[in-house]
Amino acid sequence: MQRRKFLHHGSSLLLAAQPFLAWADDDRSKKRRIQRESEGAVNSTAPNPNPTANAKAKSRVIVIGGGMAGATVAKYLRLWGDAVDVVLIERRTSYTSNIMSSLVLTGQRSLASLNYGYDNLLNAYGVQVLIDDVTDIDPLAVRVKLASGTQLTADRIVLAPGIDFDPVPGLGASDRMPHAWSAGPQTALLARQLAAMPDNGVVVLTIPKTPYRCPPGPYERACLLADWMRQRKPRSKLLVLDANMDIVTEKDNFTKAFLGLHGGMIEYYNNAEVTEVDPSTMSLVTRAGTFHNASVVNLIPRQRAGALVARTGLANATEGRFAAVNVLNYASTLAPRIHVIGDASATTQPKAGHIANQEAKVCADAIIRSLAGLAPDPAPVTNSACYSTITMRSASWLTAVFQYDPVSSTMQAVPAGSAASVGWNGDNYEQMAIWFKALMADSFA
Amino acid sequence: MNAPLRVARCAIVCAGLLGLGVQAEVPPPGRLLASNCFQCHGTNGKGPGFDTIAGKSPDEIYKKLREFAAGKEGSGIMARHAMGYTDPQMRAISSWLSTQR
Repeated sequence: MQRRKFLHHGSSLLLAAQPFLAWADDDRSKKRRIQRESEGAVNSTAPNPNPTANAKAKSRVIVIGGGMAGATVAKYLRLWGDAVDVVLIERRTSYTSNIMSSLVLTGQRSLASLNYGYDNLLNAYGVQVLIDDVTDIDPLAVRVKLASGTQLTADRIVLAPGIDFDPVPGLGASDRMPHAWSAGPQTALLARQLAAMPDNGVVVLTIPKTPYRCPPGPYERACLLADWMRQRKPRSKLLVLDANMDIVTEKDNFTKAFLGLHGGMIEYYNNAEVTEVDPSTMSLVTRAGTFHNASVVNLIPRQRAGALVARTGLANATEGRFAAVNVLNYASTLAPRIHVIGDASATTQPKAGHIANQEAKVCADAIIRSLAGLAPDPAPVTNSACYSTITMRSASWLTAVFQYDPVSSTMQAVPAGSAASVGWNGDNYEQMAIWFKALMADSFA
Repeated sequence: MNAPLRVARCAIVCAGLLGLGVQAEVPPPGRLLASNCFQCHGTNGKGPGFDTIAGKSPDEIYKKLREFAAGKEGSGIMARHAMGYTDPQMRAISSWLSTQR
């Protein structure tokens, strides 16, 4: 309790010193820092390994991006590393969860219920939150420039910018084919388009080539929409156009659901990569043929790491789409003091919020060790878990435990610890809500 | 000639050690492993979510994990999850979680 209070107090001091130049190059205020740390020595219940520590400046870590990965790494750097100052830089004042956002399309959740602010990271952990845009990163000097003009240097930078979408030929600036794959205005737009659709409408949902964010996500959305359409628009159809050769994950459940439960509603096409669209005629040209006159198109384009990764020259994997990293500490293979976590990195692990949270913890632990002159944990473990809606009231689950394999230097799924549920049920749907609440609290609270 | 050098070397070594000491926050064993539990059981094993697992005895947590891994608690998501760990990892997780209140 005392420690939390202190952190809140200390952070408020720093925040009060806007425009936040405490970190700008080396003009940080030593006086304020020392004052803060001596308060810490009095109030903190944490053991102080060395009384002379207060004389020395803390290490600094800049985290860029306040999604699942970024929020978690910022929180855990402070929770586990009291001698580390952390600033989180994020464009928006809050995060909207992608997890559960397909339920906004069926009217089962509001977008507002998926909003997570950064107050807890500041108040409970002392993470300094800057709402700003990073314009430039110097990976060697470990320095960032912000749109506001501020420059910050640090001992480490953690990049967690999530994904960006490939442009789709013909789409232009049209809002008639939303992806709704980054929860927010596009999710609300797609929900409105679905609600306004006539009963005999044709909905098209496209699935991009792997790797994309949340492998089961498009399939669970298809199932959820099919169930909603059966109840609300029973004469409609859902065309699923998959750029991949087959269902990419949880194949048993999704095959059963597509062919059986939703067989009257869903038509599934594999190897149907979208090559061009025409929003004026609501047409899509794909490798499996051309589809005209769709009523609603949920166009999920191919994905790459957030633009900042390529701009910093770190998109050196997956044909220049994502960042290659050392999975012991998530350092870029090109810049040892720049770490890339979450969907923006190229690893053998899925791109999804639950595992991004664990990658963030491995990264935070490794940074804290590194700043203390120690090597990272040589055998990290991560896990992925999620629930997929198969109907509006039932769900399946998918889980995997990954262990570090020193031979290939990759995280490898343990076969015994990786599986999907056999079928789906209402209990899983109830548990999904508990899992989501816990995961978001572990990341943002 | 030698003595002052040795003193100087010692000073460097000592300064180096002190320097390390400043930020020596050596992570306790088992903490990073146990953090795999937090997404579902709350940060440090308690909070909103599934059962609180913090503060139980190491034997109790270990026994439960073994039961899940052996399939004695059904074939749900937690059983599969438990099957992903080695026995020493389960012991490390249990003993770290038992230190949490």
